[in-house]
Amino acid sequence: MSDVQKKTFVVTRFDPDRDQVPKTQSYEVPVEPDWKVLDALNFIKDHIDPTLSHRWSCRMAVCGSCGMLVNGEPKLTCKVALSSYGDTVEVAPLPNFPVIRDLVVELDGFMEKFEHVKPWIIRAKERAVEDGPMRQSPEELEEFKHFSMCINCMLCYAACPVVANEPEFLGPAAIALGHRYSLDSRDEGAGERNRIFRGEGTVFACSYANECSEVCPKNVDPAAAVNQAKLKAVIDWAAGLVLPRRAEE
Amino acid sequence: MKRLLLKVEPILWLLFGQGILIGTLLLTGWVLVLGIAAPLGVVDPISYARAHDLGASLIGRLVLLALIALPLWKGAHHMRHVFIDTGGGDRDATVAPLLYLLAAAGSLVAILAVVRL
Repeated sequence: MSDVQKKTFVVTRFDPDRDQVPKTQSYEVPVEPDWKVLDALNFIKDHIDPTLSHRWSCRMAVCGSCGMLVNGEPKLTCKVALSSYGDTVEVAPLPNFPVIRDLVVELDGFMEKFEHVKPWIIRAKERAVEDGPMRQSPEELEEFKHFSMCINCMLCYAACPVVANEPEFLGPAAIALGHRYSLDSRDEGAGERNRIFRGEGTVFACSYANECSEVCPKNVDPAAAVNQAKLKAVIDWAAGLVLPRRAEE
Repeated sequence: MKRLLLKVEPILWLLFGQGILIGTLLLTGWVLVLGIAAPLGVVDPISYARAHDLGASLIGRLVLLALIALPLWKGAHHMRHVFIDTGGGDRDATVAPLLYLLAAAGSLVAILAVVRL
């Protein structure tokens, strides 16, 4: 431990009770070779400045709590190694979200978008318990499995230029989640979701910048989900013109 | 206007999608072969009479129409989204109809042109 490397962390600070605008504060941190960015933030909190606020939980890229902007890119701070950065590391809250304090952002609007896409299995008629479980083949599972790996870390919302400019836009993670259920062989709610996808917050607002898939730490590929959802919404719309009853369902 | 745009969005997106396909794959090859390779003598130039016969057939007219009109819709849709992505979302209700009207006017001219071939 004699040759401890030090890095400077330039962290965005914001106290809603005192600050009009966010400011930055620098910290010198002795870092271990195997540390992630989150380890350094926890060191600052525990040993240098206990007033620093940041959100984290599992430390294993599963809970999706510790998403932040690291050197200008949305990252899961528990997943990115400090060794991949230089002597100065800038950490800021995720853009496109209201900041509550320091590095902690408001989740409410994000969670509401998830509710909009009805992320649950919709059945025209509820299946009776005595009918047993709904079986699904490995091929049917494969259809949507990768879209269900989202951990709601919000990095895709921070990276998306459409989310930045159109607050109504449902956004990558919510559309990917809705699309995941529409692809599920047990689900019968694709028509409802297609109408939601075509309505306010429309999937067509996506300009396919592909940034969401670039930053996704779980390789969900939300850009693919959004574009598949567009095609399904268009086919459903066209089918509604030919078969008017279908649109009324 | 915002509601109308929302309602016709599936059509606009479909034209945009086909415009990307035609514009990036076919139109690029078309320009490369007929606009560059043939005049430079890299490939044998096609005679006017032969080109006219090909273009004036039913399939030829449809291909020409798709080659001219669909990239116009793709361009209009792309320009609209570039405008929105660069902070012009507030004026989308004015800019989007203008761009789509331009694409529609170009498509109309293309239809007249292929009909009169």
